[in-house]
Amino acid sequence: MNDKRASCRSLLLNYIIALAFIIAMNFILPRLMPGDPLHAIYGDEALVAMTPELEKSLIKEFALDRSWIEQLQAYIIGLLQGDLGFSYYYKEQVTSVIMGALPWTMLLIVLALVMATALGIILGIESGYRRGRPQDHLMVAGLMFLSGFPMFFMGILLLLIFGVSLGWAPLSGAVTPYAGLEGIDYFMDVLSHLILPVTALVLVLVGETFLITRNTVVSLLEEPFILTARGKGCSELAVKYAHVGRNSLLPVVTKTGMSIPLLLVQTIFIEIVFSYPGVGLLLTSALDARDYPLIQGILLLITVLVLTINFLVDILYKRLDPRVRYAH
Amino acid sequence: MHIDPLRDGFSNRFALMALSILLAIILMAILAPVLTRFPPDYYTGQIFSPPSYSHPLGTDSMGQDIWSRLLFGARTTLFVAASVTLISTLLSFLVGASAALIGGLYESFWMRIVDAMSSVPPMIVMILLAAYLRPNLLVMVLLLSFLSWPIGARIIRSQVLSLKERGHVYASRTFGASWWHILKSHIAPELGPLLTAIMIQDARRAVFMEAAMGFLGVSDPMVISWGKMMQQALAFTYLNVWEWWLLPTGFALSLTLVSLSFLGLSLETAMDPRLRKDELGAE
Repeated sequence: MNDKRASCRSLLLNYIIALAFIIAMNFILPRLMPGDPLHAIYGDEALVAMTPELEKSLIKEFALDRSWIEQLQAYIIGLLQGDLGFSYYYKEQVTSVIMGALPWTMLLIVLALVMATALGIILGIESGYRRGRPQDHLMVAGLMFLSGFPMFFMGILLLLIFGVSLGWAPLSGAVTPYAGLEGIDYFMDVLSHLILPVTALVLVLVGETFLITRNTVVSLLEEPFILTARGKGCSELAVKYAHVGRNSLLPVVTKTGMSIPLLLVQTIFIEIVFSYPGVGLLLTSALDARDYPLIQGILLLITVLVLTINFLVDILYKRLDPRVRYAH
Repeated sequence: MHIDPLRDGFSNRFALMALSILLAIILMAILAPVLTRFPPDYYTGQIFSPPSYSHPLGTDSMGQDIWSRLLFGARTTLFVAASVTLISTLLSFLVGASAALIGGLYESFWMRIVDAMSSVPPMIVMILLAAYLRPNLLVMVLLLSFLSWPIGARIIRSQVLSLKERGHVYASRTFGASWWHILKSHIAPELGPLLTAIMIQDARRAVFMEAAMGFLGVSDPMVISWGKMMQQALAFTYLNVWEWWLLPTGFALSLTLVSLSFLGLSLETAMDPRLRKDELGAE
């Protein structure tokens, strides 16, 4: 029991170090830049809005006229209060700008993750079951080819084929602007805007789940309990899904959890391609406008999300697999 | 681990295909000035001209020859990939191997850093750094190397940990061999296939990150980069210029990345005998 708690604490320490690293970079980078630190903290947009009174109050807020230690203190206290600063580009608190975009990103991620995992497991089982046969080789080669694609080019291809050339799907955004749709029409509108970005994400993501499921299935098929299942007359379908499939779930669950951080990053690029109004699109407009508080806020939010998810997956993994639990 | 990756892995059809594509891209990059008549930044006088004899891929919104830019972009990609791979793999090897051999507090210190660094996606740190620094090519290479070594270091450490318990290493130690000698003549040779796999992964990551930074518009604007070209082209999807601007660039980048993944995968297969037998089709 004590060992388990110690390994948990050690894990937590890793995540705290990582978070401290990002926060330290957020603090140090703007202050390292040549020129006025206030300009580096707030970016180009702030200069337009800057008045002597505002400048004075901001200097006071960031403790810029005092020592580094006091500046750091002011920065951390601000963060603890959930204050990520003010975006002069959007003329709004960074927190509320991000909260406006976050639901769209979540929608994309959750849909893509569920669909990619389900598809990956099914294809993986089917392919592992047929290992060495042409269908298996075709699936392995095809999915590896897809997952080798850079996410943003996959999005661009879908956009060009189905959006630009065929005109089957909307080109950008999450809803048709000014359409004033309600109820079922609104739902269908949102859905039609989701199809291409989610497909792009699924196509690139599915490879990994597929490969892990397939490799697990290949090694599971040699286990005695499969022979037993066959021997007692289980149908092929039952062997395939109830025996092999169920036992290959554990590595898949872990891997899916571990791939969420990557998915978050890749969604940024997909949102840019499809001008989908999520956090990723927000990040590019912040990068273009050099709206530093917004850039920092978004990256800090993603970091916190990634660290939390990683930590949960680590703990969940220990709970799910008794072997790991006893080993630690 | 006595596996010859060249014989085992690359006998695979996919690996061979991947290798030839990479070779073609390397040749394109080396022969760039021979294969095109226009310097990549030369203003040809016409913008958005469709493909023609003198401009095989037409010209872009700045009136520059796209084929030239594609060739010279390959140079950027390969330069970044090669230098990041070398620096990062060297760092991984030094940290991973020394941590495993020296052990103690030194090992805990480095492994703590490795664990902490690998819990944040490198892309996020890279975007943050690039947003402020707007790195030129050299700084980009250094930043990418700095972000990519921990993954390899962890793999090398665990391999060295198991290698150093082998009989011949023990024997060598009883003869009074120094750690450096053991590392050089007993451990490094055994790490060959693993190092190759790590190098391929590093190269793939470097190519992708360099393109991604260009695509996000935070890399050096003077550097010709495939990612940057795609970002510029994406703004003009309402014209049909994407057919000879966006698509060739995207496919060049994708083919490079896919080839590297296939190479890495076949190497992994070669190193894992459990998977090897079914890849070869012998059940």
